[in-house]
Amino acid sequence: MEQLINEIKLKLIDALNLDGMTPADIDDHAPLFGDEGLGLDSIDVLELIVLLERNYGIRLASPQEGKKVFQSVAVMADYVAANRTK
Amino acid sequence: MRKVVVIGESILSPLGATPRENFEAVCRGESALQRYEGMFGVKEPFVASMMDRTAWTLPGKTFFDSIVFEAARRAVEAASIDPASPRTAFVLSTIKGNIEFIDTQDVTLAASARRLGEAFHNPNPVVVVSNACISGLAALLQGRRMLLGGVLDHVIVVGAEVQSRFIVTGFQSLKALSEAPCKPFDAQRDGLNLGEAAAAVVLGFGEDGWELVDGAVRNDANHISGPSRTGEGSYKALRYVLQHAAPEELAFVNVHGTSTLYNDEMEAIAIDRAGLLDVPVNALKGVFGHTMGAAGVLESILSMRAVDAGIVLPTRGFSELGVSRPVRVSASMGTTDKKAFVKLLSGFGGVNGALLFRKGGAAC
Amino acid sequence: MLTIRQFASIPGGTDLTALYRATVGDYPKFFKMDTACKLGFLLAEQLAEAPRFTPREDRAVLMFSTCGCLCNDRHYEETVRDFPSPALFVYTLPNIITGEIAIRNKYEGETSAYVLERFDPQAFVSLVEQAFQDGVTASALCGWVDCRADDDYTAFAFLVERDGNGTAFNKETVYGTVNQ
Repeated sequence: MEQLINEIKLKLIDALNLDGMTPADIDDHAPLFGDEGLGLDSIDVLELIVLLERNYGIRLASPQEGKKVFQSVAVMADYVAANRTK
Repeated sequence: MRKVVVIGESILSPLGATPRENFEAVCRGESALQRYEGMFGVKEPFVASMMDRTAWTLPGKTFFDSIVFEAARRAVEAASIDPASPRTAFVLSTIKGNIEFIDTQDVTLAASARRLGEAFHNPNPVVVVSNACISGLAALLQGRRMLLGGVLDHVIVVGAEVQSRFIVTGFQSLKALSEAPCKPFDAQRDGLNLGEAAAAVVLGFGEDGWELVDGAVRNDANHISGPSRTGEGSYKALRYVLQHAAPEELAFVNVHGTSTLYNDEMEAIAIDRAGLLDVPVNALKGVFGHTMGAAGVLESILSMRAVDAGIVLPTRGFSELGVSRPVRVSASMGTTDKKAFVKLLSGFGGVNGALLFRKGGAAC
Repeated sequence: MLTIRQFASIPGGTDLTALYRATVGDYPKFFKMDTACKLGFLLAEQLAEAPRFTPREDRAVLMFSTCGCLCNDRHYEETVRDFPSPALFVYTLPNIITGEIAIRNKYEGETSAYVLERFDPQAFVSLVEQAFQDGVTASALCGWVDCRADDDYTAFAFLVERDGNGTAFNKETVYGTVNQ
């Protein structure tokens, strides 16, 4: 799971153009949205939906579903581990 | 200040080849919105209102350039003006133009603009206004300003958009499209439909007829694709045009009404803030879909025709109000004896525009 | 009469990230922008003056180009076959550059994007002048950002105001300033 979490952090940094960030900068359980976390917005949710499909073959139906899955990197990793098709 | 008025117009859409044909089709409750599967090689089905490419494409021109040319030609004919005169200029409104040919051709809007000017032997540079979904409205406002600048007698404003894999996949990636015909301002609305059309207006100076009284474009300065939660720019644009008209004078506000959750809510807030809750509100995207660069021109022409006929057009797709303010969305055909209306639009990049139209002969 | 308050340009080949770090550094949204928007953003940084970030309705943002957002369109098109990218699609509009400038600087006035066949000082000046007809606009950030490719662009902008102390804003002074 450690490896998956690290992998997800790297893909996140790349997909969302999080300049200069490293996986060490992202707390596993920190909220991704809202002011406390990485401050991601609605377009970022959509890019993360694409990220899940492109890398793990998981299709989310809507940004609303996305908001639940993308609460933190740890939540994302659990979801990916349980649902990945590639 | 001299009055800028409409002296010719044209519409090319899936519902007809003239403003009259289109107006009558709208009055009959028609729409060309239909579901497409596999169109443009797009995997997910989508609902759109599309023209017959084969019928409209002219030899040696792309489909897009063809409908731009035809819309301009018909409006010029209706206005009986000389399009080659140095005192005539063209303004083109479009967002993506010939984008479907991105891999094989010069798809710059500048190239389309040049071809438009050349086709009519016009010596002036053709200005392209590409201001997201408000482009058509912004182009009309630009045409008005160019005339008031003093060196022109006529401006031909053409708005056009054609659909493509590029655009459809883009809106799909934003999860902005509905899989059903769209429902402006409705409680069940879930996204927009795309559309194709070309519409043109010839502007000149005059005393009677439809006057472009004034307009404004204002930015929300908030987010590049999400509308302001307080309807900031839309409200400011409305406030600006309402300097020239009292709410009681307005037959209706013809809104953007894309049927996304956020746009329609934002417009309702702006309309409320501007003191327009008693004015009928209608939207035409349930008929034509979102025709992007053509919308501002297309929807304005049909609104003029409606006021001429004493009609408030229904908002096709609307049945139950689904916004937080009690705006008077017209569900069915209504009547009016008023002679002015406001065209309202919003677009990506935080832009919002409002344009006030008034039929000449009415009291100021 | 319109006068030039300031002029800024970004030479071709500039390391935009380095320029951002040297002059701004605390606006992470910069990294989501396409090249055209980065150029517009950085030009506006050079032209904006204190007090900053107070919402105002009297400054227009008018950007001109030949290529529009074509450079970014190509990037988006590359993603279309397999996984269309929403983050790239939102930049496939020629006017987003004006939106990014407006958001950063809280400019709530008119914003518009125009495409011209080439940089034409007369057309540029006329269109900018016409934006002042509304009686509200008192200044305008107006520029030419033409991205033929990520590493091939022309970028300059003026801050123009009504009846200021600077040089008159007309086609001759624009031509002279741009070509100096």
